[in-house]
Amino acid sequence: MAIHEKTLIDPDRILQHDHLVVDGVDVSGSWNTMITPRTLTDYEENFEKIIQSYSGGENVHRCWQCGSCTNSCTMYAQNVDFNPRYWIYLIRLGLKAELLKDKDIIWQCVSCNKCTNICPKDVRPEGVMKATAHWLEDNGLTPKTLSTHFDEEFTHQCIEFGRIEDTEVMMGFFKRSNQPLVQAWIVEFGKRLSKGLPLGQLAKMGMNVVFRPKTKSWGKTGEVLAEYVKAQKEAAHHG
Amino acid sequence: MSAQDTVLVVGAGPAGLSAAATIASMGKKAVVVEKEDVLGGAPIISGYAKLVPSGEWAKDAIGRMVSRVEGDGNVTIHKSSKVSKLEGEAGNFTATLSNGDKVEAGSIVLGTGFTHFDSINKPEWGFGTYEDVLTTSQMEQMVGTGQIRCPSDGRVPERVAILLCVGSRDRQIGREWCSKICCTVSTNLAMEIKEISPSTDVFIYYMDIRTFGLYEDKFYWKSQEEFKTKFVKARIAEVTKSPDGRLLVKGEDTLVKRPIVIPMDIVVHAIGMDPNALNPEIAKTFGIGLEKHGFIDRAEQYTNSQGTTRKGIYVCGAATGPEDIDTSIAQGQSAGSRAVADLFGLQKVAS
Repeated sequence: MAIHEKTLIDPDRILQHDHLVVDGVDVSGSWNTMITPRTLTDYEENFEKIIQSYSGGENVHRCWQCGSCTNSCTMYAQNVDFNPRYWIYLIRLGLKAELLKDKDIIWQCVSCNKCTNICPKDVRPEGVMKATAHWLEDNGLTPKTLSTHFDEEFTHQCIEFGRIEDTEVMMGFFKRSNQPLVQAWIVEFGKRLSKGLPLGQLAKMGMNVVFRPKTKSWGKTGEVLAEYVKAQKEAAHHG
Repeated sequence: MSAQDTVLVVGAGPAGLSAAATIASMGKKAVVVEKEDVLGGAPIISGYAKLVPSGEWAKDAIGRMVSRVEGDGNVTIHKSSKVSKLEGEAGNFTATLSNGDKVEAGSIVLGTGFTHFDSINKPEWGFGTYEDVLTTSQMEQMVGTGQIRCPSDGRVPERVAILLCVGSRDRQIGREWCSKICCTVSTNLAMEIKEISPSTDVFIYYMDIRTFGLYEDKFYWKSQEEFKTKFVKARIAEVTKSPDGRLLVKGEDTLVKRPIVIPMDIVVHAIGMDPNALNPEIAKTFGIGLEKHGFIDRAEQYTNSQGTTRKGIYVCGAATGPEDIDTSIAQGQSAGSRAVADLFGLQKVAS
């Protein structure tokens, strides 16, 4: 069969052999490039439900594939691989492997909501993009975003100490997101802070870093909280 | 009973029954000729389950239409008989029935219906080859029993695929029409299957979804949103069997631009409406024309909508082309009224 669209051929389906004989005919050389079939052989039926369990994905089952979302999409105008209509279809049928081929661009949705405004079935495609990006991130399929790193550090401190400590949050955030602890703006910030020699404030900051204050009688509250959050998350996305 | 008082009604399906009741209600005689030994037409003979859009069981809804004419003194019924010869002309027809009776009628209403597409004519979709490939009529009968099971071994199906446009919109087999109601019937059937067997997932393979008019949200949207019917835009190329006994539907998912080979437990053909297989014979007997697909041709669209190409003979329901039950009933009333109007016209001339 003629190849209509070369873009449809994933590199991993192109097979090349130095020497190949098919049915007794030597097809070595440039004739031996083979393309394996791209047949889909099953649906993962639970997938739609999982995406629906993420905020924004609730209405994905309503889609009837008219393509209004893709037509109106800001990102699609930049990159035709960014196709919400297509991804919604893959989610609905549970064609997860196909969806994962685009995992590195789904997060690019700019939330302009043109799709959501135009959708005739109120699918809210913008929400679906968000839900899908969260699912990808939750499952370690895409790198964590900066805001997720920040949230995680913030939550970690709340659970551990019952309160946060600003300097620690910042340092933890930089560590988690692989950013250098010493950055030009921080140095400048420190310099200006020290200008009026606010000794009391500096001493307090120093004490906090050294002694890590904890909320009184915090005890096992943090553990219970962490357990609860974990249970809630599992119930929401895997129930 | 004179010709000026009588309308001959051929066929006792929803259209014919409606025409007969209309004629009787206007004080004229209706003589109903039905080739089968039961009245009610396709919904009764093929054992339809719940009708679209009322949701009423066919045997109750159509049963009411049957008892209405059976209990009417103005209606005479000939079952298991056909019109074998027609003489005379508008105002003074004489029909000879296959049972030997003669009927004099001033006008005639044909409600001769359609024939279900025979899926054997699409062998690549496995009907007749695999036990678990069924038609919508057969699936409706299964719904009527209150249990959804694979005919092959009685297991509860995990997945049912409904293939739309089987025997419709297909040049390959000379069916160039849309059968109009199969989309709605299929989306409804998917809901009925899910209702009886919640663990069964239903997939509808479509080219377009044509749930016309008010059937859009009541059937298509409801089936998709509340009953989780999955719609796949793919024309299936063939149905085969996998080594584990399940069926495999093969085709191209056009929206993903990928070939698919998906396991299913039951495959249902949403069969279309063919012209009545007897139409050539009917056309010859009644001296009327057929349109290009083989359905009964109509005289004129706007001022004589139910007229055939022959004066004094009217037609209603799926005899004129794929039609839903509600419209068939409305056309039956229309054709019946028009036929009675002819009788009144004759009386005016006579007196």
